Amino acid sequence: MNSLTRRQFAKAVGAGLGGAATGVFGLGGAGAADALNFQSVWLNDPEFLGYMIAIDNGFYAAEGLSVNYMPGGPNIIPEGALLSGKADIALTNILTTAKAVVDKGAPLVIIGTQYQKSPAGVISLASANIKGPKDLVGKTVACPPLSRNVFDAMLKIAEISADKVRVVPYTFDPTPLIEGNVDAVVDFVTQIPFLVEQKSGKKASYFLFWDVGLPLYVDLVVVTKDTLKAKRAQLVKFLRASRKGWDENFADPKKYPALYENTWFKGLGSSPEAELYFNETQRGLMETPKGVYYMSDDGISRNIEALARFGEKVNRDLFDTSLFAEV
Amino acid sequence: MKLERLRAIAIGVALLLIWELVGRLAGRLLPPPSEILAQYWRDRDVFPAHIWATTRSAAAGFLLGNAAAILAAIAFCRFPLLEQLFRGVNIALFTVPAIVIGPIFVLVFPGDLPQIVLAAVLVYFPTMAAMLVGLNEIDPRLSDLVRIYGGREAALMRFVRLRSSLPSLLAGLKVAASLAVLGAILGEFGSGVRWGLGTFLLGSLSQGDAPRLWSIGLAATGLAMIGYGAFALIGAKTTGATKAVTLANKLPDRLGDRAGRRGGAQRLAILLAAILTPFVLWEALIAATGLSPIIAPGPIETLSYLFVSPDSAAARATLLNAVGETLPIAALGLVSGLAAAFLLASFTVLQPRLARLVLPVALVAQNIPLVALTPIVLLLFGRETLASVFMAVLVVFFPAYVLLSQGFALTPHAARDLVRAYGGGRFKELRLIATPYSISYLFAAAKLVAPQALLGVMVAEWLLSGRGLGNLLNVSRGNLDYDMIWAGAMVSILISVAAYQSVAALERLWR
Repeated sequence: MNSLTRRQFAKAVGAGLGGAATGVFGLGGAGAADALNFQSVWLNDPEFLGYMIAIDNGFYAAEGLSVNYMPGGPNIIPEGALLSGKADIALTNILTTAKAVVDKGAPLVIIGTQYQKSPAGVISLASANIKGPKDLVGKTVACPPLSRNVFDAMLKIAEISADKVRVVPYTFDPTPLIEGNVDAVVDFVTQIPFLVEQKSGKKASYFLFWDVGLPLYVDLVVVTKDTLKAKRAQLVKFLRASRKGWDENFADPKKYPALYENTWFKGLGSSPEAELYFNETQRGLMETPKGVYYMSDDGISRNIEALARFGEKVNRDLFDTSLFAEV
Repeated sequence: MKLERLRAIAIGVALLLIWELVGRLAGRLLPPPSEILAQYWRDRDVFPAHIWATTRSAAAGFLLGNAAAILAAIAFCRFPLLEQLFRGVNIALFTVPAIVIGPIFVLVFPGDLPQIVLAAVLVYFPTMAAMLVGLNEIDPRLSDLVRIYGGREAALMRFVRLRSSLPSLLAGLKVAASLAVLGAILGEFGSGVRWGLGTFLLGSLSQGDAPRLWSIGLAATGLAMIGYGAFALIGAKTTGATKAVTLANKLPDRLGDRAGRRGGAQRLAILLAAILTPFVLWEALIAATGLSPIIAPGPIETLSYLFVSPDSAAARATLLNAVGETLPIAALGLVSGLAAAFLLASFTVLQPRLARLVLPVALVAQNIPLVALTPIVLLLFGRETLASVFMAVLVVFFPAYVLLSQGFALTPHAARDLVRAYGGGRFKELRLIATPYSISYLFAAAKLVAPQALLGVMVAEWLLSGRGLGNLLNVSRGNLDYDMIWAGAMVSILISVAAYQSVAALERLWR
């Protein structure tokens, strides 16, 4: 982007933060010093169990924090929530955050990652024998518009020309895969393989984007630079208490999906069996010897390399690993 | 009458049985009614909370949107210049894609307000347009009477216009009631609220659970039908008043017949102001909300993105290409939808009994959330043009049908009796009386649904085909490319305005 846009951006962000601070739209929210507004990315499901446990078990309260958990949905833009001051902390996708920072000059910084390996992948029926990108040639793949960029990058890495694969929209409904309208879908592998097997009685298989040249983090913990400066101590406490929530969850992955059936997960259409599968599958994608949220130098360089494939040249200082020492 | 009711019940039962049978054969895609009922029973502890949340938001949006619509219609009738200035704004409000305003509402409004405001926005235009027609369409004998007694515009408004606008207003409110439900669900679907049918739908979508998707869809339909039915009932009870025989042909051209008396330069100035007003409001709103231009660029940023920035040529090419794919399908969908609506509305004259059966089916088709229908549309029509046209027809058909049958219903009885007295059949009645009398309603319907056809195709492109403008906006979303999204929205609104004005021009030619 040219410098004109960036200047306008800075001006408007200033106005935005000012507006939020004066509470004109009732979004200033965090009045007390230890209150944190946390913007999630989707409806309540096991992807966010750690935060729910930290709230219910008083882990945040023990740190002197009061966390306001806001579920997400298709209309929620986490970066927007941060820039408008609606949220202090948000979970984001690394690609959109990198674009906001590099292309548009947004003052955002990544302070941790929930998933070491993104759960996004390509899911198909085992009978279709799709084990990697090359097996997709001549097939029809349902891909959500939001993930199209990742899918295209995967094809590029595998040196498959884009016209060899028919990509159609995917609306988070696996029925077309079960019915055979499409050969594969792009989604989180923490959920769909189980549902496909449950509904169709056929074996499902998948591969992760992470394993085919796109070693991306996902559900990054992101804040604005101002928040990092002003609320650093609270952010450390937030990471510590949230990590404790995840540790508690993985101590017995069966416990909380069942426990939250009639509270956090009530009325959202999922089943306890599907949630259990989700929780057990995500464990291997999140845990690391240094603790949940940790970002190693190696992992960061691999993400920077992968982002370069999307034409995003990010600096190392997009990632701030200094908080981990205090967590 | 009793026999007729029995027959209607028999046909209803037969339809349900056919559905049951087809559902049992079709497997996963079209669950039979028995399975859907069983699903309601299994979900009985969560449905009340979801339905209550949606009802609350829809009702609040309905009140808010209609209050604004009624006040605006009165103001526009009193000061036609105002209507001209705000015409662009009105159409923009009606045609702005939810993908653009949804995320903005979530950032700007707290709590349940995002879905309430979305419902209000959807409701505003149809009610305002219907009310304005009613306010302008008055019996000349009554207005003469008021004038003879020295009454001015205020008295005319009080004694004549407000009263005679009631049938039109109630027709608008019928459509508005179902749109309010749709808007509330659309808002819940996007904004990550804890309860609501939209939330339930989003959560259930990934579970591949057709009976549940249908149970949610039909609950939404039921809510919309209750709203529609309530206002239809009020309408039937209150609007038996006599009307002048010459009335329908005298529908004033609300696109500015009073402005027609102005000079050329003045008209040009008004036109320019009407074009500029939405852009000025756009800039003002963004300044007032202080939103980051990353997600909410202003008009200057958007125009410079399309025409000045280094990448503007590529952006223009991408956008034009997408519009080129979308536009012909939308036009086809508009024409087919209007034709279908006219055909079925003519049943109200030709086959009144059949017409009564069509309405519930039309209501179900109109109000079932499109995402729940997607697997079936996919099965029946595939992913290409046919599916997109079908989705456009689905969106266009219902509001057009309501307006057209309203037009047919308001045909003066004296004129109909004349045809009958001379031995003319129902076809003659349709051709000679009902159609000419309701032609202004056909134009009103075309104006109302032309923008909707474009939105319908965009939804199909997003859900099914993965082409065109609908897909471009969603892919841009994945790239956080809000410059492109707002540019696309601006173009789609401009197309809608152009479609609206072309219908208006056609209407003027017709007269």
